[in-house]
Amino acid sequence: MRPGRVLYLSYVIAALIFLVAPLVVIIWASFFADKTLSFPPSGYTLHWYARAWDLEEFALGFMISLKVAVCATITSLAIGVPASLAIERFRFPGREPLRHILLAPMYVPAIVAGAAVYLYYIQVEISTGLQLTATFPGLLAAHTLVALPWTMRLVSASLASNGSIAEEAARSLGANAFQTFFYVTLPVIRPGIIAAALFSFIASFTELELSLFLVGPGKTTLPIAIVNYLEWNLDSTIAAVATVQILIIGAALLASDRFVNLGKAF
Amino acid sequence: MFPALLLVAVFLLAPLGLILRFSLDVYDPSTLMKGVFALDNYVKLLKDDFYTGVLVFTAQIAALSTVICLALGYPVAYFISRSRSEKMRSILIILTVLPLLMGNAVRSAAWMVVMGSNGMINGLLLALGVIDEPIKILYTPTAVVVGLVSVLMPFAIITLQSVLDSIPVSLEEAGRSLGYSPMRTMWAVVMPLSIPGIVAAGAICFCLAMNAYATPVLIGGPSVHMMGPLVFQQISKVGNWPFGSALAWVLMTVTLVMTIVSATYLNRKYF
Repeated sequence: MRPGRVLYLSYVIAALIFLVAPLVVIIWASFFADKTLSFPPSGYTLHWYARAWDLEEFALGFMISLKVAVCATITSLAIGVPASLAIERFRFPGREPLRHILLAPMYVPAIVAGAAVYLYYIQVEISTGLQLTATFPGLLAAHTLVALPWTMRLVSASLASNGSIAEEAARSLGANAFQTFFYVTLPVIRPGIIAAALFSFIASFTELELSLFLVGPGKTTLPIAIVNYLEWNLDSTIAAVATVQILIIGAALLASDRFVNLGKAF
Repeated sequence: MFPALLLVAVFLLAPLGLILRFSLDVYDPSTLMKGVFALDNYVKLLKDDFYTGVLVFTAQIAALSTVICLALGYPVAYFISRSRSEKMRSILIILTVLPLLMGNAVRSAAWMVVMGSNGMINGLLLALGVIDEPIKILYTPTAVVVGLVSVLMPFAIITLQSVLDSIPVSLEEAGRSLGYSPMRTMWAVVMPLSIPGIVAAGAICFCLAMNAYATPVLIGGPSVHMMGPLVFQQISKVGNWPFGSALAWVLMTVTLVMTIVSATYLNRKYF
């Protein structure tokens, strides 16, 4: 190989190592036997996984994150798929602005959106008595907001790449709108919907900044439990918790790779 | 369509409107807000050296991280875009987006384990005898830049890669056959054609870096002040809603304006 090529390849490999190395290190550190984190370790253990599960904030945080992510994914699909369908398949004035409005949750900085939603919830509470901060419905609405752009983008991309010829054929053969959707459109865009579900789930499960304003004491999501713990401690317990999250997200990502060109998902 | 629109309107646009109104109010310790229309918060923000300092510092860190992301990410994006095997592309893209999708909390935790005083780098340097006692890496602006680059580089790589995909390889072959070196082909043929991708990738990185929260808080520690944590602190901890709202709007506007101005400038300069 030419020296230039060697240099180029080592640059690329170094950059990829820089990206992935921290994750490898934290997985490694989750097995260290030492009480305080130290490199290199004196031995290895699985003890930290048991301890992490015993700590209520992590076990509870995990359950809350899982529950809100599943609910947000379902809600996001329920409202996002029809919206994508309307935008991709119908011609009406204001279609493009509408698309941008529906993707807006992705462009508004999460910390600004979090502050805004939090103060808005308090205002709603003051004027109607309906409590939204530190409640599950309040958190779910915010997480659905985070998941919606992912659903919209992936479902829209799937609809756009498949065209509407089959649907028009179905309609001209006498199928009604519902039959057309369930028997023609849905089977075709199913990979897009599965990818949308997985990415919406990931976006909600790892969401930090918005939730930060909206959770109550003793009812935090997993990422917030991690951040709170990190403010005072840095040990193998947190490495074990992180490893569990890495495995969950990694599995979701591998699953979605079958259904979607990941490079086009962003 | 209407439920989705309703969700965004009720839970995002209305709240943003509300805090715009709040930002024009004046803080009062006993009643929270006086219910007036005034520009006091914005004047305070611009007159106080601390807040303008934080804004400038945040923009500097964001700009530096963006430049590093583009420089580090470009060759990787090019490599992915020109790999012939689909399998290889797929593996490289998963490696790239995996850290991105881990979420800010886990990724910050990972960097703390690497850079902490009893973390991996210090352990390695101590074991090798390079240093006698742990050096301070975590809780410095440098650590924040490292953390931000690792958050943002996947976005840069994926954006650049999709633009590089659209540049035909035949153009490079033409350059090579006319006697250009690989480096010269890269510089004179591929680079100019990929400017829109560089601008788009830079814009995404800069926006996200300006508004980062977890990285400055966890990796930067209490001595590194950036806008994201400041917004959270003013609203959630101090309870000064009008000023916090003004900070949020200034952060969003400054990010947007700086992104649009630099993108327009770059596009005009090269097209």
